[in-house]
Amino acid sequence: MMIKKILLILTLGFTSLGANAIEIDEIIERANLASFYVGDNGRSDARMIIVDNDGNKQMRQFVIHRQDVEEGGDQNFLVVFSRPSDVRGTVFLVHKKAMVDDDRWLYLPALDLEKRISASDNRTSFVGSDFYYEDVSGRHPSLDEHELIEETEDHYVVKSMPKDKSAVEFAHYQIRIDKQSFLPMLIEYIDKAGTIYRRVEVIEVQTIQGYPTVMKSKVSNLKTKGHTLLQFRKPVYDTVVNDSLFTTRSLRNPPK
Amino acid sequence: MKKQLTQFVLNKPKIIFLMLLVLTLVTAALIPLIQIDTDPENMLVEDQIERQFHNHVKSQFKLHDMIVVGAVNRSEPSIYNPQSLGALYEIASKTAQISGVIDYDLMALSTVDNITQEVGGGIRFDWLMKQPPNSPSEAAALAIQVERLPLLKNTLVSDDLQAASIYVPIADKNESHRIATEIQEIVDGLESKDDYHITGLPVAEDTFGYQMFVQMGISAPLAGLMIFIMLWCFFRNFKFIAAPMIVAMVTVIAVMGIMIGMGYTVHIMNSMIAIFLMPIAVVDSVHIMSDFVERYQGDENRGEVITVVVGDLFKPMLFTSVTSAIGFFSLMLTPIPPVQIFGAFVGAGILLAFMLTILFIPAYLIVLKPGALKSLRSIHHSESILNRVNAQLGRLGLLRSRAVMYFFILILGLSIWGIFKIQINDNPVRWFKADHPIRVADRVLNEHFAGTYDAYLVLTAETKYIEQQFNEQLSKIPLWQATFNELSNQDKSFNQNAQALLLWAEDQLFEAGPEQVDDLEQLITNIEQTMEQLSIFKDPESLQYIVELQNALQNSGLVGKSNSLADLVMTVNRELKGGGEKNYQLPNTQAGVAQTLLQYQSSHRPHDLWHFVTQDYDSAVIWVQLTSGDNQDMTQVVSYMTEYTEQNPPLANLVINWAGKAYLNKVWQEEMVAGMGDSLISAFVVVFVMMVLLFRSLLFGLLAMLPLTLTISFIYGLIGWIGKDYDMPIAVLSALTLGLSVDFAIHFLQRARDIYATHNDFKLTMQQMFAEPAAAISKNAIVIAIGFTPLLLAPLVPYVTVGVFLASIMAVSAIVTLVLLPAMLNLLRNWAFKS
Repeated sequence: MMIKKILLILTLGFTSLGANAIEIDEIIERANLASFYVGDNGRSDARMIIVDNDGNKQMRQFVIHRQDVEEGGDQNFLVVFSRPSDVRGTVFLVHKKAMVDDDRWLYLPALDLEKRISASDNRTSFVGSDFYYEDVSGRHPSLDEHELIEETEDHYVVKSMPKDKSAVEFAHYQIRIDKQSFLPMLIEYIDKAGTIYRRVEVIEVQTIQGYPTVMKSKVSNLKTKGHTLLQFRKPVYDTVVNDSLFTTRSLRNPPK
Repeated sequence: MKKQLTQFVLNKPKIIFLMLLVLTLVTAALIPLIQIDTDPENMLVEDQIERQFHNHVKSQFKLHDMIVVGAVNRSEPSIYNPQSLGALYEIASKTAQISGVIDYDLMALSTVDNITQEVGGGIRFDWLMKQPPNSPSEAAALAIQVERLPLLKNTLVSDDLQAASIYVPIADKNESHRIATEIQEIVDGLESKDDYHITGLPVAEDTFGYQMFVQMGISAPLAGLMIFIMLWCFFRNFKFIAAPMIVAMVTVIAVMGIMIGMGYTVHIMNSMIAIFLMPIAVVDSVHIMSDFVERYQGDENRGEVITVVVGDLFKPMLFTSVTSAIGFFSLMLTPIPPVQIFGAFVGAGILLAFMLTILFIPAYLIVLKPGALKSLRSIHHSESILNRVNAQLGRLGLLRSRAVMYFFILILGLSIWGIFKIQINDNPVRWFKADHPIRVADRVLNEHFAGTYDAYLVLTAETKYIEQQFNEQLSKIPLWQATFNELSNQDKSFNQNAQALLLWAEDQLFEAGPEQVDDLEQLITNIEQTMEQLSIFKDPESLQYIVELQNALQNSGLVGKSNSLADLVMTVNRELKGGGEKNYQLPNTQAGVAQTLLQYQSSHRPHDLWHFVTQDYDSAVIWVQLTSGDNQDMTQVVSYMTEYTEQNPPLANLVINWAGKAYLNKVWQEEMVAGMGDSLISAFVVVFVMMVLLFRSLLFGLLAMLPLTLTISFIYGLIGWIGKDYDMPIAVLSALTLGLSVDFAIHFLQRARDIYATHNDFKLTMQQMFAEPAAAISKNAIVIAIGFTPLLLAPLVPYVTVGVFLASIMAVSAIVTLVLLPAMLNLLRNWAFKS
């Protein structure tokens, strides 16, 4: 009896260990898809409110268009600014590459200037907000080593370590992924000293066309004590997209 | 009354000792509560308008106190070599991890962004120095990059390419000593061939605070020891001379204890209280003791001798104490808090010392065993060498009265000439001696860079008319007006409140029915237009004025460099337009500026923008770097720019003001000079009136003012002639001079009168005067002058200054008293001594 019990426990234990090893990649894969690859394409109004430590607010308003070239891989983005009114008509076009540097273009209407941009990394501020480019377009899962460190009733808690430490400012980050939607509800970035200095959190989720969709999220910079709220409005997925939308032709003639 | 008091003291000496003990213990117990304050900002009252503005600017533009780390190349052709840059990289990244350092604002080659042209017409945003270069050619390429970044050039790397710097912002300047020490350890841990210097005002202030402790702990007691040795030379009796030392110690402990207990911080000024009080506290006792020794023949009538001595000296001592105290109390008229506190507590200390002398010295003398006083009988000052010198001086005054008078008139003339040559100037960094590491760092870094001293020229837009316009439009629709009132936060700017209304309108639009859409869109357009109008510093015209101000600053030849929002916009604009130097200009439109800035903000350091302009774009700052922290130099910059802006007035709605530490130093210096003038003049008048009342004679009043007038003129004349800057320690010396010079004059004149009253013979009076009274005066002068020689070894310049001038003041006022007063009395004796 006793031996049988032990064997049973051991077997169960091994099975769950085995399951874990497969699961972590799957969790990360599904979280990546849920966050950045919903449908084949999407469009949403977005509004950012950047708040500094004194409570001063700045606003950025834009429409973001997305098209997936390959599920979980290359993607195209087009971001068209409408506010503040003096940056209206500013357009960013990004051809996100999973394996090499992204292609980026920029159009500044006041200078009537179209420009190809290259950036060394995607961890720069997105138009002065606390969001990084990477927070908007997604960080490729293969850049980090992931480890499932905790599983609660509702969440997976994953610790991710960068493969190239010199390319990023964090030592590691920790993601809290919702078991139902696979949306990362909370990401905390930890520095070399072991302090959490940056937090990305989902505040509101709605189901749109059957997809759980983040409607409100917030990035807090615990060092500067500033934060940025990002609100999405009127998101739509799987629309008919003109092929020319994600080409440089859209820079001067963005969709209305 | 004084007789009864002395009787009481002589009968119950133990009560006096007990009182003294209790006073000392209670006040000494308060001293550990000490709080050091080394912030030159505190030279100004907290609600001083310039200081408030400075702090407002500091918080509005999120400016932190900075430690400056500088590396000077010693081995390679330039600082752009792999070894030097590698070391800078290491130091910057390790320094960023020190707790208390604001890492996201740290400025180093490795922590700032670069913008460059790419082959094929693109532009590239990247870290300027993500990794230290491996080869000389990579290092040379970096040099070319920095040359193109006006905000970094000559700030992070010097124009002569020999030095590089790291600006380390810190959260709390009281931690700068610890942080600087940790940075030093990081530097020491690297094998760099470069010379490293660590400086910056917070380091200087913190180090200064530490040195002040050392001064109070070493120099003041050492001065006490010197005084003790001098007294021993005169009296050769340890038990006897312990008395004045006890009075001095108790006075210093009580005054410092009470001041600290009352919650006053110890500043450079009041850290000198001990040093000022010690000589003054000893002076009265020396008078009593000299007189006592002169009269003490045997032990039969000790009590009587003491009573006579105290009776003799009570009045002059009271008056000298009150006048000295007034000299210091007058400092309270100076609008500089540390100087006020200094004046108040030294003044109070003088009065306390007088009381202690009157109470304690008699009590002490009466309890001494006869044996302890035995040796005193063999000392008679009338027979000492000192007295022979005194007698010579007196004879000079009496026999060559006219010549003496002319001589002093000549000296006075030369002194007044010298006073007109005085340079008013101060610089807290120069409170350290020339070879102190902080002074060395200051000198070396300012030789290479555009300057480590900061001032800010702040431009603020007056936008009330835009607000009024908007409110008028809004008042047409009650709902909007009501919503605006509801959303508006008193603490927020109008711009921020308008934006809140915009967010509300946006939200409404989202849910609005078709009939409301037009109205809401109209409102949104109104708000947007208003917000654009309010963004004065996105307007190229405003930025152009900033450029002109910067050109003026540069043309003045008085500043190293200036940095502004305009530099930033022009740099990004140049790169957006292909990188050619001809494109280093402002965009033509406000939208052009806004879009350029949006690019700048897409960097690793978007928050840097807010060091130059407010988020509402209604106020901008020009960061002015100066190679000198001298108030004089700052004053020149301010007057140059005042003249410039008068001739080239800003756009109608711009107001220009100064802020920054270098500017604040200039403000308190001006306050100090004006305030010192007031306090000196008022103290002079009060002392003169007191003298006339004391002597009940206008003539004696005038005579009593002679030594202090001559001494003050001489001392300041000397400062003018030798070209020493008139700074804070020099300024307060006027009070000390006033107090001590008048001391000697009162003793001399009062005693002369008393003696004349008994003998009615001028010659005899003068003979007697040059026995004991002259001895007491010269002894006091010598004790104080020599007693303070340890100050000459102090590492802090203000202490050295005080030491040197204290000695000069003593010598000059003793000589003036002993030579000029007999000469004048001789010339005027028919008026002075009417029989």
